[in-house]
Amino acid sequence: MDNPGYTSLTRLSGLMREMQVVANNIANISTTGFRTEGVIFAEHIAETGRNEPSLSMGTAVGRSISGQQGALQRTGGEFDFAIEGEGYFLIDTPQGEALTRAGAFIRNEVGEMVTPDGFRLLDAGGAPVFVPPTATSMALAPDGTISVDGQPLTVVGLVVPNDPLELSRVAGTAFTVQSGYSPAENTRVLQGYLEASNVDPVLQVARMIEVQRAYELGQSFMDAEDTRIRDFLRTAGQRS
Amino acid sequence: MRALDIAATGMSAQQMRVDVISNNIANMSTTGYSPRRADFADLHYQQMTRAGAINAADGTVVPAGVQLGLGVRPAAVTVTWEQGSLQATGGDLDIAIEGRGYLEVTLPSGETAYTRDGALQRTGDGLIVTADGFEVNPGITIPTDARDLTINADGEIYVYFAGDPQPQLLGQLILSGFSNDNGLEAIGSNLFIETGASGPPLAAQPGQDGLGTLRQGYVEQSSVDAVREITGLIEAQRGYELNAKVMTAADQMLGATTQVR
Repeated sequence: MDNPGYTSLTRLSGLMREMQVVANNIANISTTGFRTEGVIFAEHIAETGRNEPSLSMGTAVGRSISGQQGALQRTGGEFDFAIEGEGYFLIDTPQGEALTRAGAFIRNEVGEMVTPDGFRLLDAGGAPVFVPPTATSMALAPDGTISVDGQPLTVVGLVVPNDPLELSRVAGTAFTVQSGYSPAENTRVLQGYLEASNVDPVLQVARMIEVQRAYELGQSFMDAEDTRIRDFLRTAGQRS
Repeated sequence: MRALDIAATGMSAQQMRVDVISNNIANMSTTGYSPRRADFADLHYQQMTRAGAINAADGTVVPAGVQLGLGVRPAAVTVTWEQGSLQATGGDLDIAIEGRGYLEVTLPSGETAYTRDGALQRTGDGLIVTADGFEVNPGITIPTDARDLTINADGEIYVYFAGDPQPQLLGQLILSGFSNDNGLEAIGSNLFIETGASGPPLAAQPGQDGLGTLRQGYVEQSSVDAVREITGLIEAQRGYELNAKVMTAADQMLGATTQVR
C-alpha cells in the first residue's frame, strides 16, 4: 500500500477508537458520577524524503474528561451524596487514594462509609468516615460536615486535582491523579441526591453518526485508491 | 470491534435496571417493602497512551494520554431505606415500625431472620407469628381468655383478663438494627438474614440505640415511589435503545470494512 492508503488508515483506526469511546459513554449513561470522555486527534507529520512535501496523519493523542455538572437525581437515600460544583470525594482503594464523584455510599458492617466496591470514603483529614450504627439520624451539611443525632462528627473530604488534565481513569467510576490534589473550595454536597452521568445522549449520538459516516468516507477513499492502483497496474501491464 | 461488546455491556446493564424496577413495581403493595436500586460503575480502562508518559527527549510529558473504556458493570443493587407510610388497619396485632430496625423471626429451620412486615397473627395456641406462621422472638403466647391486647411504642404487650381492672404484661417485642442494612440477604417473604457484610444484629428495646418505635393498629406500606420507578423505567428503556443504536452503527462500520477489497 502507498502513502495515501496509510494516511486514510490512520484516520480509520482513529475513528474506530473514537467509536469505542462513544460506545463507552453511551454504555455508562446510567452510571452514577460518570464523566463523559472525548478523544483529541492531532496531526502526526511524517517525512517523505528530501525536498518532498511532508505527510500528515491523524492520530489520537489525548482525551478530555468533561467536567460538566451531571443532573442531580433525588433518591432519598441517607448515604447518597452528590457534589454540586467542582471537586471529588476521596476514597481509599487498595492501589492508593482515588477521586470519585459517584456518591452512592453504603455503611459497612463496622459503620464505615464505603463505595459499592467496598472502598472507604475518607474525611478531610484522610481518615475513614465512620457513622455509628446506633445513630438515629445522620445529616450532611452542604460543606460536607456529617452530624449524627445533632452532633457534628466529621467532615467529608472534598478535593480538586492540582492538574485536572492528569486525571487517569480507574475502574469503578474513580480517578487517580499523579501530582496530587488540594482541598476543594466553594463545593456543595447534598444528601439524598446522586449525580447522574453527565453523558449527553444527543451529543453522543450525533458524534456516533459523524464517526460512522467519516469511517465510510475513509473506506470509500481506500476503495478508490485500490481501484486507482489496479487501473494503473492494468494499464501499465497492457503497454509492456 | 470493541464498540459491539461495549454496547452489549450497556444493554445488559439497562436490562438489569428494568429487572430491578419491575420487581419494585410488583412489590408496590407489599407490606414493609423498600425499593431496590441498581448502581452501575464503569469497567476497566485500556491504556493506549499513558498520561505523564515522556514524549520527547527533553522530558515533555503527555498531558492527558489516551484511555479507552470497556463499558459498564453493575456495582450493587442497594436497598433505599425509607420509611413507608403507615396505613391504619385497626388490627390489634398489626404493628408498624417507625424508624429503623427489624422484628426478629425464627424460621422452621431454627435460623433467625429479620422482617419489617408487622402484620402479625396468632396461632391456635395463641403464639404470636408472622403472616407465614414463623414465630416472632421472643415467643409470646396470648392466653385465649385475654382481652383488649395493647402493644405500646416500646413493644410491651399488655392484656386484660376478666374481673381484673389492671392490665397484665405478657412480654416485650424487641427490635434488631444492623450497621449495613444493604448487607442483609433477602430470602423472600419480606424476610432477611444476617451476612458478614451486614454486621451482627444490635438487638434493643424499641426506641433505644437508634431503633424505631412500634405503633399498634398500623402496617407500614411499601415505600416504592411509582413516579420514580416509572421515570427510571423510561430512562432504562431509552438507554437500552441508545446502546442498541451503537451496536447497529458499529455493525455497519464493520460491514463497510468487509466491503473494502
